[in-house]
Amino acid sequence: MTQNKLQTESRLGQAVRYFQRFTLAQRWEHTLLILSLSVLLLTGLPQKYRDTSWSQALLSSPEMVTNVQTVHHAAALVLTLEIIFHLGNMIVLMIRRRLPGDMLPTWQDVKDAGEMVKYLLFISGKKPKFGKYNFEQKFTYWFLFFAIGILAFSGFVIWFPIQFTAIFPGGIIPAAKLAHSTEAIVTTLFVLIWHFYHVHFERLNLSIFTGKLNEEDMKTYHELEYDRLNKTGAKKEVKGGKK
Amino acid sequence: MKNIKLRNESFLLALAGMLAVLAIALWVMPARASQPAARPAQKTEEYCLSCHNNPDLSMTLPSGETLSLYVSPDVLANSIHSPLGIECEACHTTISTYPHPEQPYQDRRSLSRGYYEACQKCHSANYAKTMDSMHNQAAQDGNLDAPICTDCHGAHNVQKPDEPRSTISTTCSKCHGEIYAEYKDSIHGSALIQENNQDVPVCTDCHGVHNVQDPRTNQFRVNSPEMCAGCHANAELMGKYNLSSDVYSLYETSWHGVDVAVYKARWPTIAHNSAVCTDCHGVHNIRKTSDPQSSVNSANLLTTCKKCHETAGPNWTGSWTGHVQISLEKTPFVFYTQAFYTSFTPFVLWLSVIYVALQIIRSTVDRVRRSLQ
Repeated sequence: MTQNKLQTESRLGQAVRYFQRFTLAQRWEHTLLILSLSVLLLTGLPQKYRDTSWSQALLSSPEMVTNVQTVHHAAALVLTLEIIFHLGNMIVLMIRRRLPGDMLPTWQDVKDAGEMVKYLLFISGKKPKFGKYNFEQKFTYWFLFFAIGILAFSGFVIWFPIQFTAIFPGGIIPAAKLAHSTEAIVTTLFVLIWHFYHVHFERLNLSIFTGKLNEEDMKTYHELEYDRLNKTGAKKEVKGGKK
Repeated sequence: MKNIKLRNESFLLALAGMLAVLAIALWVMPARASQPAARPAQKTEEYCLSCHNNPDLSMTLPSGETLSLYVSPDVLANSIHSPLGIECEACHTTISTYPHPEQPYQDRRSLSRGYYEACQKCHSANYAKTMDSMHNQAAQDGNLDAPICTDCHGAHNVQKPDEPRSTISTTCSKCHGEIYAEYKDSIHGSALIQENNQDVPVCTDCHGVHNVQDPRTNQFRVNSPEMCAGCHANAELMGKYNLSSDVYSLYETSWHGVDVAVYKARWPTIAHNSAVCTDCHGVHNIRKTSDPQSSVNSANLLTTCKKCHETAGPNWTGSWTGHVQISLEKTPFVFYTQAFYTSFTPFVLWLSVIYVALQIIRSTVDRVRRSLQ
């Protein structure tokens, strides 16, 4: 895995060390998620809130309703391909016993969350130390994992209701409709509040786009991972002094 | 001076008196020509009936049709007009003398269509409405059998049109017999005809009266659920029959209802296929849901769904929740989904908001502390 390797780049004549954090595939997956979810949201909201003037401005004719639904379905297929790739990749890595466990929730995450709350409430003076992914990031991942799962399943149910009722009871259709439209709003708000705060406001973290994280951020936010990487001999690759 | 004045006054009085006599004479004169004197209306009627009370009185029209000229004094006396003092001339405006002036009508129908125009003299508002009706449109398109006032209300026998209420439906049935046959066996029609129910709709309640519109237009279709709601969303009225008055408000939130509402508000003239009340329940033949012949009886529901959802399987009918409140018994899937979201949504969003707020507070405090050091 390349993600454990250290990279060195020159900035202002001074060497800054970068740590590989995401693979190219993971960065593409994230970009696909942003694009497909944004299109799904933008074409889904006007269908949900048909009483509003902005919805009616977009859905200006019956043909436009059909067009917006077609775009929604196309974006849904892109997202479905991404889900298949993500799960497929996960299964392949699991079979090869090479699935990294960094994202799996552990008891330590619960303890970290407790420590973090203590710190935020001024009960404790220092933040807990985190590994490659802290509990906030794991919560983001797993929240979206299940949210997208619910959205995708319920979306297909209301896209192909007749086919689904060949197997499932009819009651799942109105339930899927309710779940799809509610889950979409919850997920959007969650991303806006939780994810956007952590990656844009707490600090600007672009590692999912660049694939790497600088040493300072690595030390500040992922100290356990930083220590682990330094102990495994990667330190030998260091060129230039510490920043 | 005084004498002159007095004389002047008496002169003026005499002049006024003469003018009055002249005016009365002028006013009465034309009537005198046909009648011995100004009579009460009933007297006019009596005068006309002196000939027209003969059952054998008839004439042959240029078309060859025989026109009976008999007017039954009894029918006339029991009509609404005659006892109110409305004279024959009020309607037969072109006949005020004997011998009668030549009439231009070639056949019975053109005679009727000519005479009924007189109705607007008194009933101008309703007459104006008929101009906007489907019936008038048919006449404009050349169908001279399209109904005119007298076809529904009668002529010499004109009565209140809704006493008893079932009269309205039987009146329509004179032309719309097939529809009446469906209606009389429906829940609405049978209650009207057999029980003289005053709440059920008669033809005109849904179709309108004088301005009856074409019910086959897209516009009529998208407005029809609201029409049903006129009674079926009335809690007091529905309570009398132990029916739910939520059916319309719940329908409005259903897939069909939302779609229909959008089309109604924005594209009322564009065709669409989301179901309105009548698509499932039937139109004139609506029956109780518990009636085995009802199109929405559980035995027939899938067939009804399949009218639009052709490939639907037996589970399909379970997806329709458009008339029931969310409940564990009736809609368990929706019930649990809603229960999940009413607890999960506020929980996860408040958790996020509080956690992020705490982070903002702590990081701000830390930053201030650092800058003070």
